[in-house]
Amino acid sequence: MKLIVALIPLLPFAGFVITLLLGKWVLGKRADVIPVLMATASWVLSMYVFVRVVADPEYVFDWNAFTWISSGALETTWGFYIDPLAAIMLLVVGTIGMVVHYYSIGYMKGDEGYYRFFAYLNLFMFAMFVLVMANNYLLMFLAWEGVGLCSYLLIGFWFRKKSASQAGKKAFLVNRVGDFGFMLGMLLMFLTFGSLQFTEVFADVGAAGPAALLGICLLLFTGAVGKSAQFPLHVWLPDAMEGPTPVSALIHAATMVNAGVYMVARSYPLYIDSHSAMYVVMGVGTFTAIYAALIALTQNDIKRVIAYSTVSSLGFMFMALGSGAWVAGVFYLLTHGFFKGLLFLGSGSVIHAMSGQQDMRFMGGLRRKLPVTYWTMMIGALAMVGIFPFAGFWAKDEIIGFEFTHHLYYIWVVGLITAFITGIYMFRLMFMTFHGENRSSPEVQAHIHESRPIMTVPLIILAIPAALAGVLAGWPPESGWIHRFLHPVFFDIESEPFGIVAFILLLVSLVIGAAGIAAAWYLYLQRPELPGRLAARFPRAYGASLNKFYMDEIYEAAVIRPVIGFAGWLWTFVDTRVIDGAVNGLAWLWGRFGRLLRPLQTGRAQSYALGILVGVVVLIVIFRIVEG
Amino acid sequence: MNAVEWYFVLAALLFCIGAYGVLARRNLIIVVMSLELMLNAVNLALVAVANFVPAAAGRGTLFVLFVITIAAAEVTVGLAIVIANYRNRRTVQADEYHEMKG
Amino acid sequence: MPGGDFHPVYFSIVAAWILVAGVGVVASRSVVRAAVSMVLCFLGVAFAFALMNSALLAIVQILIYVGAISVVIIFGIMLTETPAGPRHQFFNRQSVIAAPIVVATAVLVAVILVSGDLLTAGETAVNPGLRQLSSLLFNRYVLPFELVSLVLLAAMIGAIVLARREDRQ
Repeated sequence: MKLIVALIPLLPFAGFVITLLLGKWVLGKRADVIPVLMATASWVLSMYVFVRVVADPEYVFDWNAFTWISSGALETTWGFYIDPLAAIMLLVVGTIGMVVHYYSIGYMKGDEGYYRFFAYLNLFMFAMFVLVMANNYLLMFLAWEGVGLCSYLLIGFWFRKKSASQAGKKAFLVNRVGDFGFMLGMLLMFLTFGSLQFTEVFADVGAAGPAALLGICLLLFTGAVGKSAQFPLHVWLPDAMEGPTPVSALIHAATMVNAGVYMVARSYPLYIDSHSAMYVVMGVGTFTAIYAALIALTQNDIKRVIAYSTVSSLGFMFMALGSGAWVAGVFYLLTHGFFKGLLFLGSGSVIHAMSGQQDMRFMGGLRRKLPVTYWTMMIGALAMVGIFPFAGFWAKDEIIGFEFTHHLYYIWVVGLITAFITGIYMFRLMFMTFHGENRSSPEVQAHIHESRPIMTVPLIILAIPAALAGVLAGWPPESGWIHRFLHPVFFDIESEPFGIVAFILLLVSLVIGAAGIAAAWYLYLQRPELPGRLAARFPRAYGASLNKFYMDEIYEAAVIRPVIGFAGWLWTFVDTRVIDGAVNGLAWLWGRFGRLLRPLQTGRAQSYALGILVGVVVLIVIFRIVEG
Repeated sequence: MNAVEWYFVLAALLFCIGAYGVLARRNLIIVVMSLELMLNAVNLALVAVANFVPAAAGRGTLFVLFVITIAAAEVTVGLAIVIANYRNRRTVQADEYHEMKG
Repeated sequence: MPGGDFHPVYFSIVAAWILVAGVGVVASRSVVRAAVSMVLCFLGVAFAFALMNSALLAIVQILIYVGAISVVIIFGIMLTETPAGPRHQFFNRQSVIAAPIVVATAVLVAVILVSGDLLTAGETAVNPGLRQLSSLLFNRYVLPFELVSLVLLAAMIGAIVLARREDRQ
């Protein structure tokens, strides 16, 4: 078991090293072989671990491979921790990772950075695996930074494009803000508990003061806000769409952005003892959910819609975790990974067919030419909106229902509204892209074709769990397989029996979601001129939504300008006048001093001789005094 | 005061007369002459010691011999330098050699 | 002590002679007069040596200082031209400052030399014979002796090189 657990991250790491070193010259076009092989092998091993844990959910594997830091009181290790939560993450990461690798063979074909892409993908897999299997916060943080690095590398993959490299920078910098909070949280944790290992920290929770615990939870959550693109650190995710679509699918939908959710879920023992922290998590998540959904409503770039949808879904997950629906949140994470990854890969297929066009206003009527893409994306979309019997229904609607049953009525209402809007924007996407008449130029139209199997098969592979995972894992609601499976992790959660109230709640959310679809159908298929007229009627609302509520502009004015101004001041004043002044002043001072002493150098030997005589006399006097 | 101390005073006075000449005269030849005065003063002191301190008798005399010898060598070379300089600059005034000023 | 009881008298005469001649060197306007004063001073020093039981040194002094060094210096005088005239400065600018300093030095050195207790023995004049001197010179101090001859050689050569006329075309 130890060997298998160690190999899961090591194989992709080896793949990264080999492909990076040899890729350009030796492997060339076949640079994909080793990385894909490694991804597949890691998937197999992950499935083995998953099955093993399924067989015995009480089983906990905590293995310290070797000591990493041993400095004074701090002792951290490279260690792995496998429990049902980690097993679920392995399932998500391994499966979607492998699928994306295969998809990329088709999508990235002919790209001049082919070997680089796969090397980075493998590096990402390594970091992500370590993240979900780490047994202490420091190692998790190391992997956290690692996935951040890969995100930067892959977002800015087409580095010659200015907007891409800037998007990569933006992602990294915004993440950094969150990471700072994470680091402070770890510091506080170490001060409070004396350790960063999961088992040691969680055992000691009762001994910590409420203020310290609150501080730790909030600081850690800051890291999650950055990594999982919650408000106000969400601004990097839409820009991250500059990266190739497989990257968006893997990193920004299914795995990396989930790291924040995973971290909070993993810190369950810390959060349940700090209700204030949980309220904050819930508040941020809920706000982000509806905020992002409102923006997704007006976006025209197909990838941006899905990106904001991801932000909204992540908000939902934090809403669930914060309000106490831990299992439902993780369940949603699991299913979301599949259908959101599916949606992204599908959009990649669409973009491929449209010769690079990403604006939905130029699409239309693609369902006849791209059947596989259409039907798999339809499954994904239905799952996203939460329609029975697809995966999203079980998880998302369970979350919404939970809010009601736990008396969080305002949250419940916001959740329903968000679900409604989700229905609208999701099917707006579907209708604008696949239905109606094609609105692009004739050359593009001539080129529209379904993608090759290497790309469509992964779509099908992902569509299966998107369709079925909900039923398999979540039936009956609140006491399905997944609830029993995760019980050892979230030990204080009671499985609730499925009663009539829960049934009605599920029905309500289902109807709301369907209403959203219906609204989209009406607006975009029946009366397509209506959205334009609505936008004209409410220009400011439309503008706010289209411009992401001016978030980037706010950052520009509130943060970036002052910092640049401060830097400029430092340059013109501190550097030029103070520092240069000091250095130049020192030189000037010595110059003056030298000029002062220059008259001593008369050039005449006799004056020097006089000096010698004077010196000798002085010395004699001194010696006389000293001796006498 | 002992006899030897008188000789010491004489030596000191002669030394300082010579020192004044080295420091204050413009003519380089006179400077060299004053330098010789200083050396003679030193010789006087040495001989005084040699005379009145039995333990130092032979060595004192020898030391003086060496001083005289070296003084001769030094005068030779010194005057050669003065003459060489005179050829170039046509002057033996000490304060007109001030190229190293500043 | 040579001269027996009259030693102090002889000493006074010789001391006055030396000092006056010395002042003559330093203070005279004419180079030639300074040279003559110098020779007289050397003679006086020779007498002083004789007064201190060192006939050998007296003779050496006359031979070398009066005989050789003075000649060299007179050669130097002949080969160079020293300006003179009503407005010519004989003393340089620092002579005024140098004077008190020199006086102070004189006083200081004299005081120090006098106040020390250098002498353990009495005033017995000891005179090493020539035989003893040469044995010292060639046995114990043969190295300085050889070195001094080297110095003389170097000085000779150096002086010749320095004073050569440069007539290359």
